[in-house]
Amino acid sequence: MAGMKRKPEDMANEPAATPEETKSPFLHIFETFRAELDAHHDRRENITKASRDVTAQSKLPGSHDEYRVRELGKPIHPSISKTTTPMYTTIRNLLQSVVPDLQSINTYRYRDRITGGIQEYIEAVSFQHYLETQRIMSFHEAAAQLPEGIMLTYEDYALGLFDMTGELMRFAITYMATNGKLPTYSGDDKSSKSSILTDMQDLRAAFEGVNPGKVYPLAKEFESKLKTTRQSVEKVENGVYQMIVRGKERPKGWRPDTDTRGGGESEAVESY
Amino acid sequence: MAGDTAMTNEAAGPSPNVDPAIFSSLQAKIDQETGIKDELRAIVDTLSKQGRVTQSILSRVHNTPTAELETAVLVPCADSLAAQAATVKTLADAASKYPFYKWNNIWQRDMQNVVSSLQLHDWLKGGNLITLEEVGQRLNVPVNVKDEDTFHITIEDYLLALTYTIEELSRLAPNAVTLGDYARPLQISRFIKDVHAGFQLLNLKNDILRRRNDALKYNVKKVEDVVYDLSLRGLIPKKE
Repeated sequence: MAGMKRKPEDMANEPAATPEETKSPFLHIFETFRAELDAHHDRRENITKASRDVTAQSKLPGSHDEYRVRELGKPIHPSISKTTTPMYTTIRNLLQSVVPDLQSINTYRYRDRITGGIQEYIEAVSFQHYLETQRIMSFHEAAAQLPEGIMLTYEDYALGLFDMTGELMRFAITYMATNGKLPTYSGDDKSSKSSILTDMQDLRAAFEGVNPGKVYPLAKEFESKLKTTRQSVEKVENGVYQMIVRGKERPKGWRPDTDTRGGGESEAVESY
Repeated sequence: MAGDTAMTNEAAGPSPNVDPAIFSSLQAKIDQETGIKDELRAIVDTLSKQGRVTQSILSRVHNTPTAELETAVLVPCADSLAAQAATVKTLADAASKYPFYKWNNIWQRDMQNVVSSLQLHDWLKGGNLITLEEVGQRLNVPVNVKDEDTFHITIEDYLLALTYTIEELSRLAPNAVTLGDYARPLQISRFIKDVHAGFQLLNLKNDILRRRNDALKYNVKKVEDVVYDLSLRGLIPKKE
């Protein structure tokens, strides 16, 4: 009977070791820690999500409608603001929703989570402010744009302003490509206003005069942001040069025919 | 296109488009914060130097027989920790003037080192784990503050310090055997397994605390191997 299998009752008789488990004396301490850390993680997740949503809202295709602005120094045209105003409302609501998580000692605790969203928002509102006034929004004006309880740091303001130079570059290039010239100012103090190119050059010069010091995060990002700003200004400088030189070849009043349905329709779309 | 050319050269008027005041106040703010950082950094440098002295003293535990531990390690360690506590008090007074979480990255690691030294000292002295509250009393600073923006020791600091302490004890286990103390590894094994059980309760996210926690299991395994080697050869002293 060499091949005979073991009977089930034999296995049942095997002794099972049941070592007594000693309970850790530190479990109570760690339970307290768990509750604290869970609350901390929840706040951090809420803020991270709000910041990402703010960033997404700021980057919606509708935000590019502001490139269709035809003149500086005027309120945004209704056909554009009907797209952008709801976006700003959504953004303010998102920021408002995390105000309770950013109070007292926690004001700076989650700064690295909210900073991306705030910079995007500052970029958006300062760009709109420039379109309406052809003036760079000051720190206090920018802070007033945020819901009460959300603090604007000078780092977020400066980094947002850096990003805004990228928006100015895209606006200037788009405008020149569409209209064959730089945008004009139509506010009350018309005679005192320079061109968008001069403003960008002044912005670059002003940033180049700033010593970022040693305090994170501005010191860390300053050099790369400044490099990008320099590139933006040079693109517009080159664009203006090309417009002046090569623009001589273009018949007066000519426009690129971007509408596949014909020139007549294009004219209708362009007008307000 | 003469107008276009003139446009680019037009001078700024009385209300400049790019206001220089924006950037001069930005620079003033940067300079102010750089000054704050320098002030705090100077105190933390002192704490850091003292921390290295304390750690140098505690390092002797790896080549000091257990019987001589009190005089050779624990007493000078307590003296060095007392000096660190005084520096921590100075740091607490200076740092409490500013937002805690804006600047705590400057002192975080050095504070964790102090807490870890306290944990290791107390375990070597009596086999106990000093609690977060006891750390606060010893250093004369608040702990786990939530409703006031002031200098304090955070839960994360305490837990991260604990991972460093466990790492040091796992190194001590084989060295204790080398020094002839066969009972020490068993004590270490029980202690770090208890702490590891506590860490298992936490719902850690992907941050530095989780990475440190993930390394704990290797320390537990290392000490278990030492205990196994001793028990296999019948070297673990029997209880009288």
